[in-house]
Amino acid sequence: MAPDGYIMQSIRDILNTYECEYIEDYKKIWIKAKIKNRDDLLRVAKEIKSNGLKSISTLSPTDFVADNIMEINYFFEDLKTKRNLWLKVDTPRDEESCEIESLSLLYPSALWHEREAYSMFGVRFLNHLDLRDIIKSEDFRGKYPFRKDFDWEAHSKEDVANVQTIVDAFKQEQNSNEVNLDKDSSETILNWGPTHPASGPIRLKVHCDGEDIIGIDPDIGYVWRALEHLIEKKDFLGAIVVVERLCFMDNINSMTGYALAVEEIAGVEITPFAKLLRSLLGEIGRVSSHFMGLGMFFNNMGLHTLAMWNMDIREFFLDFLESYSGARIATAAVEAGGVRYPLDIATLDELQKALDKFDDTIGDIDTIFVKNPTMSLRAKDVGNISYDEVIEFGLSGIVARASGVKTDIRIDEPYDAYGELDLDYITKTKGSAKDRFEMLFLEIKQSVEIIKILKEKIELGIESKEFDPLKDHLVKVPKKLPAGEALSRVEWARGEVLIHLVTQAKATNPYRIKLRAPSFNHTMMLDYLLKGKSLSDIPLIFGSLYICQGDLDR
Amino acid sequence: MIDTIIEAFVFPGVLYVLIWTVALYWFFRKFMASLHKRVGPHFNGIGGSYQTLFDLSKLLTKESITPTGVNPYLFSMMPLLALIIAMLPSAFIPWSDGFVVIDSDYGLLALVVLISIEPFLLFLTGFGSNNKYSFLGGIRVLTQAISMETAFLLSALSPALLFGTLNLTSIADQSSWISFIILLPAFIIYFIALLGILEQPPFNIPDAEQEIVYGFYTEYSGTNYFLLQLAKFAEFMAIFAGATTLFLGAFKGLFFDSYFWFFIKMILVAMIMMTIRASTPRITMAQMLEFSWRYMVPLSLLNIAWVLVMRSFI
Repeated sequence: MAPDGYIMQSIRDILNTYECEYIEDYKKIWIKAKIKNRDDLLRVAKEIKSNGLKSISTLSPTDFVADNIMEINYFFEDLKTKRNLWLKVDTPRDEESCEIESLSLLYPSALWHEREAYSMFGVRFLNHLDLRDIIKSEDFRGKYPFRKDFDWEAHSKEDVANVQTIVDAFKQEQNSNEVNLDKDSSETILNWGPTHPASGPIRLKVHCDGEDIIGIDPDIGYVWRALEHLIEKKDFLGAIVVVERLCFMDNINSMTGYALAVEEIAGVEITPFAKLLRSLLGEIGRVSSHFMGLGMFFNNMGLHTLAMWNMDIREFFLDFLESYSGARIATAAVEAGGVRYPLDIATLDELQKALDKFDDTIGDIDTIFVKNPTMSLRAKDVGNISYDEVIEFGLSGIVARASGVKTDIRIDEPYDAYGELDLDYITKTKGSAKDRFEMLFLEIKQSVEIIKILKEKIELGIESKEFDPLKDHLVKVPKKLPAGEALSRVEWARGEVLIHLVTQAKATNPYRIKLRAPSFNHTMMLDYLLKGKSLSDIPLIFGSLYICQGDLDR
Repeated sequence: MIDTIIEAFVFPGVLYVLIWTVALYWFFRKFMASLHKRVGPHFNGIGGSYQTLFDLSKLLTKESITPTGVNPYLFSMMPLLALIIAMLPSAFIPWSDGFVVIDSDYGLLALVVLISIEPFLLFLTGFGSNNKYSFLGGIRVLTQAISMETAFLLSALSPALLFGTLNLTSIADQSSWISFIILLPAFIIYFIALLGILEQPPFNIPDAEQEIVYGFYTEYSGTNYFLLQLAKFAEFMAIFAGATTLFLGAFKGLFFDSYFWFFIKMILVAMIMMTIRASTPRITMAQMLEFSWRYMVPLSLLNIAWVLVMRSFI
């Protein structure tokens, strides 16, 4: 569903009034441009926003040490008409003058992404409301770990001192936790996490008055692994095991996104069979992730039955992944050039078992849990996100679709075999916690339908000798890639994953990769959604946003 | 003398409560497991039946941590007091034909009062823990107890109104199929209020793990936690036994009257409770309050009227 040329042209018209190094078309629905003068950025952004590109997906600085520039990539999106703009702007890279105007007042979705760029690259954003460190641990304070000249080895030599810094910071935080509060009020701070039965490794600093919430300050970074840095240290093939660790629940689609980016730089087209199999695996990843999401939602209301039932079904899907790749969770099954393993046709029987199990049990889940009156009583009116807020905060995936925003990368910018399928947007209107829960359920059903179609296509293709499952799964991708830059987007289980990959000439490993993961934006919403609610709503709304700390911290 | 000692330490005293706790704990786990499509305890003993014994003995041997800044007497006394008070009602229950430890004319009153004291003790455990979660939990216990006990007491009193006595033995003696049907609405209200008082879903608000980290349990560990768990299961027993005595005809059964039927009826109530537990999520405090005061209390008053009307017919 590509937008027509006329409205794409309107973006060009805006850019033409500014000094640009280049403006070019990129893929079907992107315009790629670089503005010369960084002082123009705010004005460009203002006009772009009034043109309809109302969300920033992410921003990604690239550190070119040799040229002494820090190139900042902004990815603007218009979720309504599916037009996108990839805007670049240079700043000097030395720490004193590495600064740029903040877009967070125009684009709330950039709030945390700018904080991240500040923490990792030391880009100072002028007029940002809340430019604190995020994600990185206290021993990196004042250091910018993703800069190319950052010495990781020297840093890790000081491990004992680093741990001490973290401990000291923790103790200081603990001592000062309530000091700044008004002594006469009944306001207090509750720490919801990081070792909380429902939180996972995230800490919400909940300012509350008895049961009423005054405000929430999420403290993230408890599972920060510096994935983007780890990928830059690996070769192009080895990087997939890092990419898939974005989140264990749906690891396949993130690998697909990475593979798409590498293929684009290498100029490789994969076989139709590999495309089908990738999509098939991706949908299985989505199903197994959504099953956990459904279970978590009820777990957070103190009911564990659904999670147990879902695990029962999910195991069958994992059985297929195991018989295909040898691993149940971290499959490492998708690489640039196709998929990693040939397909033994007998393993499809394993998949059939899973599909049968699904058809047998999904009815019970529908009647007992999806139509559960008590759940409905609790969740139908809390955590409402409106259509405009989705666009403003750049939300994606089920959270966006539950509010009626028609966005789904599988349809907007089809990749792999999704172009051949006739997919429909599944949406709800109200955007409540209950709607998001039902979205998960409906999408599982949709994904299973897709799996059935893809499975049939694969079987037919093999029968008619159209492709050979033992040979067609992989085309060769050179180990050394040319200098280039690629952008790929995939619809991950939790939403849009955007991967920005930069390589240098004769590279054996990525120069810079940016993984944009949806939970980052969704966690931003917590304070907004929970203000004025009661403590009982924290786990419910947190669960309904379908947040995974793996992709939150990376 | 010997009789008293046996009654205090064997049946229906300490040993009985211990065995009941172990057995019911195991039964809850197994029953819940089958609803969850799991196996449950499996390896130790027949059907994993020793597992609970091991778990409880493990708790006894673990360090009992008293947090700094709490009143140690309040902190450690409350679990013990909670257990003792939870065990007392079984002295008033007619367990089988002619077997009741204290055959009091005010048995029902004693039962109801002893059951109602329990939440206040739990509130004090939360209050004495010097922990924000526990304190919130304690307040929630109190709020829930106040709103649920009105309906609980009113429904528990309806058999007394129907039969004109507070003596539990004579209530059990006079019960029949007709009285069961008349008291059915009261039983339903009693059962719902029971879920609230025992903090079972959908009313497990005071010890909501996902919200306030088990509330008043948060700081308890080792022996103190063991005592609190024991108190909880003794409380289960008291309330199930209360339901059985008041509404389900106590030890009366098909073909013969004995403790066997009493036990079966208690387990039946437990099973219904577990099934609700396996299929209903938690509601919020505000919803509980609304439910209790807008529906439960008026209905229990109406129920009293219904019982009084029916009384003139039998």
